[in-house]
Amino acid sequence: MGYMKPFSDIFCVVMPFLYAALALIYGLTFFRGNQSLERLRFPLLLTTVILHLFYLTARGIMLDHPPITSVFEIMTLLAASIAIAYMYIEWRTHTGNTGAFILLLAFAFQTVSSLFIRDVITIPEYLHSLVLGLHVSAALLGYTGISLSAVYGFLYLMLYHEIKSTRFGLIYSRLPSLEMLETMCNRSEVFGFAMLSVAIGVGLLWLPQAFDEFSYWDPKLVGTLVIWLLYAIALGAKRGLGWQGRKTIVISLIAFGCMFLSMTVINLYMSGFHSFH
Amino acid sequence: MNLLSVGISHHTASVDIRERMWFSADEIREAIRRLKGSFFSECVLVSTCNRTELYGLTRDQGADDVAVRRFLIDFKKAADMVREEHFVGSASGEAIAHLFQVAAGIDSLVIGDIQILSQVKEAFTLSREADALGPVMNRLMQSALHVGKRTRTETSICEGAVSVSYAAVELASRIFEDLSKKTALLIGAGETGELTLKHLVSKGIGQVRIANRTREKAEALVSEFGGTVVDYGLIVDALRAADIVITSVNAPAYIVQPEDVQKVMKQRSNNPLFIIDIGVPRNVNPVSKKIENVFLYDIDALSNVVDRNLGKRKAEIPKVHAIISQELEGFMQWYQSLQAGPTIQEFREALEAIRREEVEKNVNRFRPEDRELLELVTKRIINKILHQPTATLKQGAQNGSGDAEGLMRSTLLRELFGLPTHGKGKHEE
Repeated sequence: MGYMKPFSDIFCVVMPFLYAALALIYGLTFFRGNQSLERLRFPLLLTTVILHLFYLTARGIMLDHPPITSVFEIMTLLAASIAIAYMYIEWRTHTGNTGAFILLLAFAFQTVSSLFIRDVITIPEYLHSLVLGLHVSAALLGYTGISLSAVYGFLYLMLYHEIKSTRFGLIYSRLPSLEMLETMCNRSEVFGFAMLSVAIGVGLLWLPQAFDEFSYWDPKLVGTLVIWLLYAIALGAKRGLGWQGRKTIVISLIAFGCMFLSMTVINLYMSGFHSFH
Repeated sequence: MNLLSVGISHHTASVDIRERMWFSADEIREAIRRLKGSFFSECVLVSTCNRTELYGLTRDQGADDVAVRRFLIDFKKAADMVREEHFVGSASGEAIAHLFQVAAGIDSLVIGDIQILSQVKEAFTLSREADALGPVMNRLMQSALHVGKRTRTETSICEGAVSVSYAAVELASRIFEDLSKKTALLIGAGETGELTLKHLVSKGIGQVRIANRTREKAEALVSEFGGTVVDYGLIVDALRAADIVITSVNAPAYIVQPEDVQKVMKQRSNNPLFIIDIGVPRNVNPVSKKIENVFLYDIDALSNVVDRNLGKRKAEIPKVHAIISQELEGFMQWYQSLQAGPTIQEFREALEAIRREEVEKNVNRFRPEDRELLELVTKRIINKILHQPTATLKQGAQNGSGDAEGLMRSTLLRELFGLPTHGKGKHEE
């Protein structure tokens, strides 16, 4: 539907700037404690999320398929999903002080997406599948969960360092408590891990049917399984070995780094089944 | 302006003198009643453990502040100890600036003290109840409270703990989310340790356990703070169930070693352990600090935190001064507008505006040759209406009955005719 193209194109350019503005406002309120901006940030977040959903809809109508067919479409979906999840957290916990960090991640995903996204109208037949929808939805929720968990984990490490070294700065005075950060990190990680497991399970069942040249040694598949394994170790150590705090968080952060690499490098530069165009 | 401020504070007098000059609420009521009869037309008396200060609008120009000092000393029957030299006085703008500094907490013994604002508010209420406030002091006190509130919200001068015990409690709340689910263990007794426990209890700590070499002492503390007594010989075991540990034991050697902590951490599934070691010499071997999820602080570390916080507060003082000068300017503008001259002028302009509007609306009903007459007649009516109030206001100003009465009239006139009150923003209480 060509009439949606101008909207889709404009939003493709505008969305990174909106997320940059959001991250900036949350950053300013965090670092400078600017009170008048503080009242602005939630309405702006809500507006950005609504515009983002409009962008995704416009794109879907224009290309006549949901925006789940390339890694860059997934990235913009992920940015929206992170923003929505964060909006929910802020609404529930009444604290906006982690927003700057989380929305920075949404900004990063949206920017990469906007830079490389292309409008592909004809997609392979095997991508018209309900199973794929399930796979992508689960993967998206999974990625959102572990992205949030990575940000909270990172903040936990920074706060841990400040408290241990008694160098108390803004991190110390503005962030939630160490215990709270760890809880947030854990919960989103467990959720993310569960969803990723579903996505991988569905993918593994569906792949051999959809692709003739499918191989279990595909780099994307191996990469994903390594990431999944790292999370499994982190979560298992917490349950089984009673690990707390830093060690498990470091493993989770490594896993998150691998996921980011897998999403970008493997999908872009290595040929495999997961790059479709 | 006949504003006078007279008072003693921690800058001018030692604690025993300040104690002698402390006024209870009843004494404040009685004192301002008498002061209002003799020296002031409006006044407020602020009394805390660090200061007793009187602010008022004197009845005569250049009122005798020495007499006020004497009155205060006599009122407290403190002539044997307190002398007039213990007081300092200031007038007009200087007195206002001082009141604003007090309300902002930058004149306090501990910079950024948060109690002072409520104490100023209380003084304001007492004066109002005693009918000792007029338009000027009312506005002045509201401005002072506004300075205090702005200081809280626009600067970070009240942030960061400035005592060792508070620094410890603040740290606890940065590590743990919900203190009501945590257990505190106090080992040994000592002023700072007890104070820390007291703060933790006031923050709603879940459970309290106390160990002491003399069991009776521990039992006495338990009866004060609640909780249970732990056998002194079993303190290492007690670490297992505790989240926050305060040690202040007078012992020549460490009473807790890293191996103990390591063992305990395993038993408590590595849950965070926050240890505040207030003992001198230290009670917990500092090597324990390296263990994962163990947060160990000694008295020096906490003192450093306090020093740094004080430094940060001091760095905020210029911002507070900026707020004070803004509010001072606003107050002065308001005050000037209440003088006879500007009030008469604005009153005249307001009536003239009404006259002009009505004339313009109805001018077509008159024949062209009558229009000049219409102007003349309406202007004359306005002048006649203005004559008496103008004369009264001017007379007041010349008599030097000055501030109080004249200001009261100006305020009333402004209220009745809805003339604007100048100065930035109206302050709510």
